[in-house]
Amino acid sequence: MRKGEYLGNFDLMLLLAVMRLGDNAYGVTLAQELEAQTRREVVVASVYATLDRLQERGLVTSSLGDSTPERGGRAKRYFRITKAGVREVRDAQQSLMNLWKGLPELKGEKA
Amino acid sequence: MTPQQPPRIPTLMLKHFGSGSNIEALLGDLAEQYQQNNSAIRYWRQAMKAIPVSFFRDIRAHKWMVAQALMTGWGLWILAANLIFPIVNYNPYTTPNASRVSFHVVWSDPRSVIAFTTLPAIGAAFHPKGPWSTPVAFLFALALPAVVGVVSGWLAAHWQVCIQADPATLRLARVHQDRKTSVVLLFAGSVLLMNLLPFTFLFDRHIVFLVPLLTLNAAASVVGILLGGGLFRDRSTGVGN
Repeated sequence: MRKGEYLGNFDLMLLLAVMRLGDNAYGVTLAQELEAQTRREVVVASVYATLDRLQERGLVTSSLGDSTPERGGRAKRYFRITKAGVREVRDAQQSLMNLWKGLPELKGEKA
Repeated sequence: MTPQQPPRIPTLMLKHFGSGSNIEALLGDLAEQYQQNNSAIRYWRQAMKAIPVSFFRDIRAHKWMVAQALMTGWGLWILAANLIFPIVNYNPYTTPNASRVSFHVVWSDPRSVIAFTTLPAIGAAFHPKGPWSTPVAFLFALALPAVVGVVSGWLAAHWQVCIQADPATLRLARVHQDRKTSVVLLFAGSVLLMNLLPFTFLFDRHIVFLVPLLTLNAAASVVGILLGGGLFRDRSTGVGN
């Protein structure tokens, strides 16, 4: 991995949410998924800002869907993870697992 | 069943001041969320946070392009100030009785250079009876910055001077449609900042009477830029609101 290309916390959470939602990953469902998992309000605009950046890095792709009346006639933008994205998530998981190993604080041995 | 309309003001603000290519999809998402939770407070919060988030994302992603468009707008602004300066300096209302305040550009003094950018307002204040006493004073205070703002805002939103390294030349290029909002907002913000800086030394020099004039000048400049940059135009492709 080159310098400056590490996934941030929010980047990683979003990529995982995109993977979990599969074909139904767009702004509303992604924000809902993150809110359900983190129990914090997610700014939908920051979901787009982050996914835009990840798209530039080739980790996700996007396509426009259909519009519905409850959206004021505006189309949904669906996101899908790419092979490079999956690889990046796997690398991040591996790095985190390595860092996790043997930490007594995380096993409840210390406060 | 007819969907409930989300609050109109944040929708309009996001539509006009939101940056980037995802604003339509984002507006759709916020409208959909509003149908689900019916919370106007949440809608306002999401829309108001979306404006700076999309702005800074756009600026960060296209730094060089935005800098070039900004330089283009400022180039015209400074050119206009240069053209206006002699008119103000030799205004029959201002000379020879410039008793209340005198102003000359001293290039080595940053404060003087900053004030130069707000020159139309300062020019109007030269009038011994005050800035509102004649149509000419009013013109300098309000109309000139507004007109310069409209033209430079339009220029910054549509064209950018590109500096090419090899060979070292300048050329004009169109500003990408999706970048317009962030460029215009940044340009308006920088002009506002330059217009606010003189306030810091106005009080030292006991020329507080310039405050309303400079405020008006700043407001006219910013509104002119936003107008010229097309930010008040309806860019929506969606239905409703």
